[in-house]
Amino acid sequence: MSLQSRLTCLAGCLALVAGAAFAADSDTARLTKDPKNWAMQAGNLSNHRYSELKQITSKNAKNLSVAWTFSTGVLRGHEGGPLVIGDTMYLHSPFPNKVFAIALEDQSIRWKYEPKQDPSVIPVMCCDTVNRGLAYANGKIFLQQADTTLVALDAKTGNELWKVKVGDPKLGETTTNTPHIFKDKVITGISGGEFGVRGRLTAHDINTGKVLWKAFSTGPDNELIVDPNKTMTWTDGKMAPIGVNSSLKTWQGDQWKLGGGTTWGWYSYDPELNTVYYGTGNPSTWNPRQRPGDNKWSMTIFARDLDTGMAKWVYQMTPHDEWDYDGVNEMILADIKVKGKPRKALVHFDRNGFAYTMDRVSGELLVAEKYDPVVNWATHVDMKSGRPQVVAKYSTDKNGPDVNTKGVCPSALGTKDQQPASYSPKTGLFYVPTNHVCMDYEPFQIEYTAGQPYVGSTLSMYAAPNSHGGMGNFIAWDAGTGKMVWSKPERFSVWSGALSTAGDVVFYGTLEGYLKAVDLNGKELWKFKTPSGIIGNVTTWEYKGKQYIGVLSGIGGWAGIGLAAGLTKGTEGLGAVGGYKDLAKYTELGGVLTVFALPER
Amino acid sequence: MRLSRLPLSLMLSITLPTTLLIPPAALSAPPGARADDFPTSGRVEYVLECMQKHDGKYEYLYKCSCVVDQIAKALPYEDYVAMSVALRNQGLAGERGGLFRDAASVKDMASKYKQIEAGANKACAVPQR
Repeated sequence: MSLQSRLTCLAGCLALVAGAAFAADSDTARLTKDPKNWAMQAGNLSNHRYSELKQITSKNAKNLSVAWTFSTGVLRGHEGGPLVIGDTMYLHSPFPNKVFAIALEDQSIRWKYEPKQDPSVIPVMCCDTVNRGLAYANGKIFLQQADTTLVALDAKTGNELWKVKVGDPKLGETTTNTPHIFKDKVITGISGGEFGVRGRLTAHDINTGKVLWKAFSTGPDNELIVDPNKTMTWTDGKMAPIGVNSSLKTWQGDQWKLGGGTTWGWYSYDPELNTVYYGTGNPSTWNPRQRPGDNKWSMTIFARDLDTGMAKWVYQMTPHDEWDYDGVNEMILADIKVKGKPRKALVHFDRNGFAYTMDRVSGELLVAEKYDPVVNWATHVDMKSGRPQVVAKYSTDKNGPDVNTKGVCPSALGTKDQQPASYSPKTGLFYVPTNHVCMDYEPFQIEYTAGQPYVGSTLSMYAAPNSHGGMGNFIAWDAGTGKMVWSKPERFSVWSGALSTAGDVVFYGTLEGYLKAVDLNGKELWKFKTPSGIIGNVTTWEYKGKQYIGVLSGIGGWAGIGLAAGLTKGTEGLGAVGGYKDLAKYTELGGVLTVFALPER
Repeated sequence: MRLSRLPLSLMLSITLPTTLLIPPAALSAPPGARADDFPTSGRVEYVLECMQKHDGKYEYLYKCSCVVDQIAKALPYEDYVAMSVALRNQGLAGERGGLFRDAASVKDMASKYKQIEAGANKACAVPQR
């Protein structure tokens, strides 16, 4: 054995020993610390969507130009974004949930994976066949398919390693969320709040997919995984135990079994506290008269111990929802000054139009303020009880079924939906894509049938009246004071996730298909029209010394279909999900990832 | 001159200022601008899509170019983008499609654009598809 190979062995053996010692932890958190990678959908465990890269700055962003494009071959809404680890990009598509491993060097496809899924899952997806992207850990790629199958693939080959089903589409259960890798676990949720699904979060072993714990949003204490004496909630201006049967007491009879509280959003994890944070969605049905009570724990922020699933604290934002204000939006963990005092905070921009700042250690409510001034369904959040003060004329419960409650702001889309905001530790501010839309809402009586929509409401949406006429804003928010710093009006709602960078640039996409770069004052520096509307999240990475910005475009109605479909195919490609020619190595038609960089000097 | 053969509706939309959804201060395009400001990429994108709709026949390279040039004379690029997006997304799936289907302001944009495009198609001998 030569000296060199002995040294190699020495290093290798040490690595093995170190690997064994920390076998419990995945490499994901470490990979996110290198800004060249984009190793989680949100960039890091805290949901920051922030990058330390600063080759692209507020001075030169105006020069950004197209570096390359990649088409997924699928013609539906494209949410989420790519992962980048080292020299490889991993990209997903909406149903049928294809996965591509792409070499950054020449954009050739290293491998492609396409699961076989029953298309009958499509009609039970309430809100298009979206998927919010992949996760990576320890040489594995994790995909949460529409039909609720969670699958682990070998990141080198694309071979299936394990599969586990977390729900049943026949009952209206589907999945759209990204899997989240926290420490040694993969955490996933469920969609189907419009189908009377009973929401829950499950934790799986990274190596086998085995379910380690499963925590429901509604039901008896043992299924909620709560301790009536130790799980705390904000009560009369302080934290107090939730008590026994905290959920059961707030439903009529067995309604909790169809209770909703689905979990399709963006979770976060604090390694020091070993706590996972996520929100739950609307209670079923949308007709509030059919489900009297607070409907706990729908519309709730949960803080759970990652290892056991035990809830440390809960906070219900919208007790007895009457407007479909799901509480699933991203939970952003930030260490900021709140009202002058440094706090380990959790910041959450809820669909209900209030931005919440919580103490993420204790669960105390610190700030709850409207982040769009048109929000009118509640006057304010009472800081003692933590409850929103509902305005009677906008109460669809008080007005009752078959009465059209008019002029409610925000609409059921929320002041913001899942499209994640960005937090810049450099500025201490949050950059938030929003809806500026109001609605008329008319609930009606509905019977539950498994696998059928359990909505029970018709609604009509429109741009917020007496404002700028547009349907969206992109805002900067100070979560320490609960005040808006600036607001940039947009013609349409902003449904793209934001990105902020150390180069003092903030990026977001629009429904017209523009990718926009703004400076820290919200001034537009640059925009580029991509082939379709943007509902994906902006991502950045570095490869061979160059910083790139990437974003998926593609919503239902198709712009640039001519380009995407190729001129040889005739019109048959229009709307046909699978009807395309497989071009093996390079581009396919459909949703497009557009990648930008600064031009060579 | 080609313009003289355009239908009245298109003539009107060329002559009258375009109704903006957001007040001018919020947008880069000035009100009523007849800037003929479509970028080349925007025109190419339109022509490719239009050719695709007509089975890729080569004659549509010319006819579709004619159409996009007419539209560019009728609308600033910003407005064209917003209005054509409004029309395209009338059939968007799911709850959020309501944003395009319900809102009167968006429906107005969609129908106005439909009218302008139909006029341009007629002027350029492109059958409506």
